[in-house]
Amino acid sequence: MANIFPRWTNWLPIKLLVCVAVVAASIVSGMAYYFTPKYTRVGYQPTQPVEFDHSLHVNQLGMDCRYCHSQVEKSAHSNIPATQTCMNCHTQIKAQSPKLEPVRQSWKTGQPVPWVRIHKAPDYVYFNHSAHVNRGISCVACHGHVNHMQVVWHDKPHSMGWCLECHRAPENHLRPLDQITNLDWEPPAGTSQRELGEKFVREWNINPPVSCSGCHR
Amino acid sequence: MKRVLQHPPAPAHGRTYWRSLGEYAKTPDFEEWLHREFPAGAAEWEQDPLSRRNFLRLMGASLALAGLGLGGCRRPEAHLVPFTQSPEWLISGKTMSFATAQPRRRGAVPLLATTFDGRPIKMEGNPLHPFSEGKSDNHAQASILDLYDPARRRHLTFQGKKADTSQLEAEIKRVRAEASASSGATLAVLADETCSPTRERLRAELLRQFPQATWAVYEPLAPGYDAEASTAAFGPGTQFRANLANASTILAADCDFLGSEDGDLADTRNFAAGRRIRKPGDKVNRLYVAEPRFSITGSMADHRLRLRAGEVGAFLLELGRQIRSLRGNAELNAALSSAPDLPLPHGVDAAWIRECAADLVTNAGRSVVLVGRRQPASVQALALAINSALGAIGNTLVVQPAFSAPAASIRDLAARLQAGAIKSLIILGGNPIYNAPTDLSFENLLASVPSSLHLSAQPNATSAKSSWFVPGTHYLEAWGDALSGDGSYVSIQPTIQPLWAGESQLEFLCRLTGQAKPIGPALIKETFAARTNQSGQKLEDAWNNLVREGFVPASSTSAAKSVNGAAVAALAAKIGDTAEASAGALEGVFVSSPAMDDGRYLNNGWLQEWPDPMTKLTWDNAILLSSTTAKALGLRNEIVKGILVADVVRATLAGQTVEAPVVIAPGHVDFAVSLPLGYGQDELGPVAKGSGFNAYRLRRTDADYLAPGLKLEKTGRTRQLAVTQEHQVMEGRDLVREAAVAEFNEDPGWVKKVGMDAHIPPNQSFYKSPKLDGEYQWAMVIDLSTCTGCNACVTACTAENNIPIVGKDQVMKGREMHWIRVDRYYTGEPEEPEAVAQPVACMQCENAPCETVCPVNATVHNEEGLNVMAYNRCIGTRYCANNCPYKVRRFNFFDYNQRALDKLYWGPVAPKGTEETIKLQKNPNVTVRMRGVMEKCTFCVQRIEEAKISARVKARDSANIRIPAGSLKTACQQACPADAIVFGDLKNEKEQVGQLRNLPQNYSLLEYLNVRPRLTYLGRVRNPNPAMPGARTSYLPSHGHGESHGSENGRGKTEGGH
Repeated sequence: MANIFPRWTNWLPIKLLVCVAVVAASIVSGMAYYFTPKYTRVGYQPTQPVEFDHSLHVNQLGMDCRYCHSQVEKSAHSNIPATQTCMNCHTQIKAQSPKLEPVRQSWKTGQPVPWVRIHKAPDYVYFNHSAHVNRGISCVACHGHVNHMQVVWHDKPHSMGWCLECHRAPENHLRPLDQITNLDWEPPAGTSQRELGEKFVREWNINPPVSCSGCHR
Repeated sequence: MKRVLQHPPAPAHGRTYWRSLGEYAKTPDFEEWLHREFPAGAAEWEQDPLSRRNFLRLMGASLALAGLGLGGCRRPEAHLVPFTQSPEWLISGKTMSFATAQPRRRGAVPLLATTFDGRPIKMEGNPLHPFSEGKSDNHAQASILDLYDPARRRHLTFQGKKADTSQLEAEIKRVRAEASASSGATLAVLADETCSPTRERLRAELLRQFPQATWAVYEPLAPGYDAEASTAAFGPGTQFRANLANASTILAADCDFLGSEDGDLADTRNFAAGRRIRKPGDKVNRLYVAEPRFSITGSMADHRLRLRAGEVGAFLLELGRQIRSLRGNAELNAALSSAPDLPLPHGVDAAWIRECAADLVTNAGRSVVLVGRRQPASVQALALAINSALGAIGNTLVVQPAFSAPAASIRDLAARLQAGAIKSLIILGGNPIYNAPTDLSFENLLASVPSSLHLSAQPNATSAKSSWFVPGTHYLEAWGDALSGDGSYVSIQPTIQPLWAGESQLEFLCRLTGQAKPIGPALIKETFAARTNQSGQKLEDAWNNLVREGFVPASSTSAAKSVNGAAVAALAAKIGDTAEASAGALEGVFVSSPAMDDGRYLNNGWLQEWPDPMTKLTWDNAILLSSTTAKALGLRNEIVKGILVADVVRATLAGQTVEAPVVIAPGHVDFAVSLPLGYGQDELGPVAKGSGFNAYRLRRTDADYLAPGLKLEKTGRTRQLAVTQEHQVMEGRDLVREAAVAEFNEDPGWVKKVGMDAHIPPNQSFYKSPKLDGEYQWAMVIDLSTCTGCNACVTACTAENNIPIVGKDQVMKGREMHWIRVDRYYTGEPEEPEAVAQPVACMQCENAPCETVCPVNATVHNEEGLNVMAYNRCIGTRYCANNCPYKVRRFNFFDYNQRALDKLYWGPVAPKGTEETIKLQKNPNVTVRMRGVMEKCTFCVQRIEEAKISARVKARDSANIRIPAGSLKTACQQACPADAIVFGDLKNEKEQVGQLRNLPQNYSLLEYLNVRPRLTYLGRVRNPNPAMPGARTSYLPSHGHGESHGSENGRGKTEGGH
């Protein structure tokens, strides 16, 4: 009796299995990458109603983050500056620049400038800026080098796993309080971030929450 | 390239923002989205919702836009909208507190309004004010919801149609001209009582301009009988109040001073302070209560006597005679000799009164007799005479200047209206059509007035019948002032612009007196300047101090130490006898509803769902009667699947009838019934609709409190009532533990003798205990000796934690969402029971049974001992609730925040979304939970985290990150007027909570389960007088520790049910 199945079918189950495995693995790994904030959020760079250039203001003019984001040390929320803040300078400097037309318009009409939101924690996450910037976490840890961005983009994933990485090992990010808004700060020569960080954890009693209630209420 | 942006919706101002969003049968999300993309098109949509062409055009265009650039793959674009000019002081994301006060008819309650981004979200007591000391009650807590009530009308109306301000301007001008011509004889003002000195000043100004105008004040629950007695005893312009700070023996005769009796926060606090017992030998006050219905004051009583309200006079006469024999004085002698010689009320044990009198006399100077303020003036006068004999005047009963000058009553006004003299009637607040005595037929009188005007924050029955309706302001919307209970001057500071075009009473009166509408606090400042007699910089400083701290302490206290014997005797002579009540002629008593007061809060969902402290009834009122009365009338209550099915009766009094369900209330006096007022106003809004019956319909001028001769007839119908606690017994589990003072002194560790605590074998948990190594270890202790069961904690928690209301239907299914509930247990005989209240919130068990069964780790333990819920992880299996021995977990069976309560079962067909105004109240630091999510008490974790963060922000680069002891309070603890709830960190020795947990009278519920609760209780200690007849002096199992396993304590019975 002749073989019902030709010889090549011997390998078919294994080939199929390998195929399925490869497809499944690529779906899983694809989702793990493309469906997570690492991909969906990082790099988000919307066009803002005003072409505000952070690198110009911070790097070239040497303004501190807190000139505009003035409540970051006091509140959970880091405020977007009021039109008034822009007009403090821009009534004098570049007072006629067409780029600033929306700002002048806002100042005249009282209608706020609708800045497009880039960083957004979900509603069930209660992030607090003041708890971080007052305890040695720089802006750069979560927002990247905004001082070098002409147009701000979303630099870090802001996923829960990413938050916990630092909450479990804060020594990797702590820095002296007077260097919080100096985004280009590096540990002084002769010390390492880890060394400094561990010292701060000890001396400042750094004890970030890692249980649910720390951020979810 | 991204497309150019349209402006996001305009910020919150103008009328369009407040419009009802479900109005056009589409979801708010959809509408908002339309607004953003096509502002012009959306407007067209509103005008013509049926235009198919517009719809298709809009949809087509938006779909095309959505397709461009695959915008849908990213999250939707959101905007950050800053201010154009930063408001002073405002730090967005931080709360601010403003001192203000809630006006009440018997003195304002000093409060702090917490605002977030400019909107008030929570009320707290003013901690600086000696009368409040940071405490508040259910009405103060819930009043914030009234501000955001969507049923408030947004515009002026004239004869039911929208009018504009120029028309009102013309009307005011016309009224003034008319009044000038008659020197005021044609003008009448009917006002509610606000205790506002500025209003008194404007009233004087109005009467100066129009000397013959009528100024009447009507408060259905403050008929002024106490003022009459006070005038007789202490002279005109006086009033009296209890001062329980040093009171050691209190007799309350039909006086619910801890609850509905315009309960002063100070009374509860002082009473609780005298009740607190920590170690053997501590002095404890003693409370005697004689009352018709079981009130929360009665539940705190050491000795309680069931007494009909009409017999209080006869009861006090006997008490007076007994006191006279022990410690008489001339005033009491005079009062007793002029009063009729009434016999002892039927069924009252003379020995009870004798021993009570002896105890009051023994503690003379520190004892007081309190009588309900709605009792006749003659009875109150007699009580004042008794108090003077007890040396209470000036000590436990203080006299102070009256808050407002005497005014005409609604009867006087009705007579003038009847005579046709009044051409214009201005009604400021109140709701006389609904709550005026029926014999005045106020509705007809109002219809006969050519021009009537009603100014009210909420439109009600009176607004509908007045020719003008002027939207009033909530107290958080306009400047005002008032006197607080102790006579201190409080400022009512607004925290938000009127949501709609509202006008305060003061602003309106200002216009009525021909002055310009005041700007800001100018009017109040003027009053303040006159009161303080200051000017210039001194006035500015004093004013700033007033606004910041909220009050100026009372300066003038009357030194009255004695009563005017002759005048009191003349009044006491009028004490009337009451006929013996029987099943055929019952004695009705119109009582105020603890939730609704006189009916003003009926459209407030929080208070509708707030269980009555004693009956545990929600969303309804019912006639209360005793089981003997019910048996005699053949009336029944039945509990069917947790629903109270009550017989409906027809109540008849002097030709008026009303149909109402009856609830059999343990401890109610026989052949008398209580008729709670305040319900049955369907016109107030969707929340009020269909709840309860209107007892005002039976109420007459001559029967405004007592209504003898009431008849109840069975109709054969029943009504389903939503009660939150159908079990009145503890099933032998010794949840509440009680002892007498003597037993406590003998063995402070008595709680361990009750129940099976002494038998628990060494227990080991099956599961691993979580690691509890956090920087704090949170715990709570509730002192059952001082908890009055007032339920203020429930409202405070509702406000703080965004707890939704679920409606009567859902409550009947047992789905109410309150995170803290107050269980009330009856003990003893069903006719003469005692009652105990026990607040129960999540126990935060160290070995939490709920955590082990959660399949998705949505409820886990944190290192600080909190059992935390991660809502966004919860998939709604409800295993945790099933495994919770305390039944404190609450499940969102529906999207209570998004769907209308009467359309819960419509599923996705029901319009989605909530009123914009209701959203404004929500606490932004607590997640608003959605359907399918479990929730429970968190020990106010948002406050804990906020405190921890504040401490860290303050610490900066130092190591001291500890929260200062006592600075962190949970919402329930902060509100508790009795200071019965203590919360704090066990690791901090300075915190009270650790000390209390170590007391021998500390116990936990269901200890044998070994779940190790973090919420524990201090056993309740009663202070019975052994000399009293029938005194229950032993509360502990008499047969030594053990065998009883609680049968002694859990022997209460359910009325009607089971």
